[in-house]
Amino acid sequence: MSALARPFVPLAYWGFEHRWQLLPPLTGVAMLALIAGALIAAPREAVEGEVQRIFYIHLPVIAASYLAFTVVFVASVVVLWKRDMRWDAVARSAATVGVLFTALTLVTGAIWGKPIWGVWWAWEARLITTLLLFLIYGGYLLVRSMAAPNDEQAARYAAVFAVIGFLDIPLIHMSTRWWRTLHPDAIVLRARPALPVEMLVVLLVGLIAVTLLALWLLVLRAETERMSQRTLSLRAELDRREGI
Amino acid sequence: MNAALAVIRKDLRVVWRDRVGWLTTGAFATASVLTYTFAFDLVSGDVRPLLPGVLWTTFLFAGIFASSQAFQREVEQGTLDAMLISPVPASVVFLAKVLSSVMALLVIEVALLVLATILFDTTLITLELTLIVLVGTAGYVSLTTLLSTMGSQLNSRAMILPVLALPLLVPMLIGAVRATGAALDLPAGTAPWTLLLVVFAAWSSLAGALLFPLAVER
Amino acid sequence: MVENELEFLFAGFAVFWAGLFVYLIILQARIRDLQRELEQLEERLEEAEDSSAHSQTNAQADPAPPRSSVALADENAPTDTNEESKRPAGEAGTGA
Repeated sequence: MSALARPFVPLAYWGFEHRWQLLPPLTGVAMLALIAGALIAAPREAVEGEVQRIFYIHLPVIAASYLAFTVVFVASVVVLWKRDMRWDAVARSAATVGVLFTALTLVTGAIWGKPIWGVWWAWEARLITTLLLFLIYGGYLLVRSMAAPNDEQAARYAAVFAVIGFLDIPLIHMSTRWWRTLHPDAIVLRARPALPVEMLVVLLVGLIAVTLLALWLLVLRAETERMSQRTLSLRAELDRREGI
Repeated sequence: MNAALAVIRKDLRVVWRDRVGWLTTGAFATASVLTYTFAFDLVSGDVRPLLPGVLWTTFLFAGIFASSQAFQREVEQGTLDAMLISPVPASVVFLAKVLSSVMALLVIEVALLVLATILFDTTLITLELTLIVLVGTAGYVSLTTLLSTMGSQLNSRAMILPVLALPLLVPMLIGAVRATGAALDLPAGTAPWTLLLVVFAAWSSLAGALLFPLAVER
Repeated sequence: MVENELEFLFAGFAVFWAGLFVYLIILQARIRDLQRELEQLEERLEEAEDSSAHSQTNAQADPAPPRSSVALADENAPTDTNEESKRPAGEAGTGA
């Protein structure tokens, strides 16, 4: 490991051990800062007005979901490589966070879009890809939940699906973009002009806050999954003993 | 190499033995085309812009239909386990399955092209189109073959296969429909659709060959 | 300039928070159920271990069949916790 990273390893361990004491208050404070920033501190946007403030939630949430889906990919690779069910818990939890956040992105995006563009939805490449992400990882959760939490083979199958799904995403994005350039829309998501500093600061706060939120939800869900796995193995153990 | 050929020959024999199942797939594809005819009123007006979509959705659904059928049978008859215990590497088993499925589906698809030529009075039997159909089919069959390897414990897996496969097949569908449109002289833009199809087919068969062993191991 | 902008702004934030809270509530409920079930199962496992340890020492001291202590363990484990514990875990197994 590089000399740069080494001092952070014990910090990471300490952080992981104290995650239940650290994550809830940190997340709470950061989210409050985000709300204050988005609603009060950030300046009013010239063209879109107050509705634009949804952006400070919308963008961090989609960014966090991309992060979550990357975690699903990495965890799934580890499941296939090491056959460790703890990583199946991580993958499933990250997918849950990702699906939840993608859904929130689509809804907040629609709420933001309606007053600005007049429509709830537009067939624009990024929206289509986001919708497909929702379907793909929703499918992952569906197929994983059809089997027990400690079913190793089902975990492996889901991991295979997660891997191939993740690798497909660039192809999906490219092909939908090419597809849409055939019939350019009246609504063009214009390239945003560079944001003033105050907005960038609030956006940064938002990114940190929502990432912490995603991390907290992931850890919470993973703990639940581990408990589920443990109840199943305990029940199996009990059946074994009491079946004597 | 000999082992690979043996597996391919065995898979083709399986396909032949199960010709009723494949016939059912062909019947399903025909019924689909008729359904589209009535649903989108393909009788009146210029049908050609709609044909690529009609053809490819039919091919896709037929392929998914056939995939879940075939795998279900293999699991029930224990032939999959037997194949995996043999010294042939699982990747070879996968590619052989894909090859035999592509061949079987190609027969159905060409038959459908002939049918559509007659029904819609459009020339659809060209080399260009056949190659596009071949590459597109290779793409989606690799993916559906990989995804149909669900453990036998999972119920309702027949239902879930399209849910899992269709979002992943979007690039292939877009490429295939556009490439077919271009082959029929319909406006298809400048994007390299056939290249997209080739890339998708290569990617899905490679990924499938690498992941299939992981998906089926006990 | 933009009509109803404050309503949409409120709706956007409200949806975000509502979605979050609904999920947290569902998760908390499931954690509670699982904790309860884990406690029950761990109790039963302790009892099963005690009685088998008990029956082992019995077998050493007295070659009489240990069937009585195993039967004792079976009687102690109330039969309806099986149904009870199966249901919440069944729900815990499915779902996101």
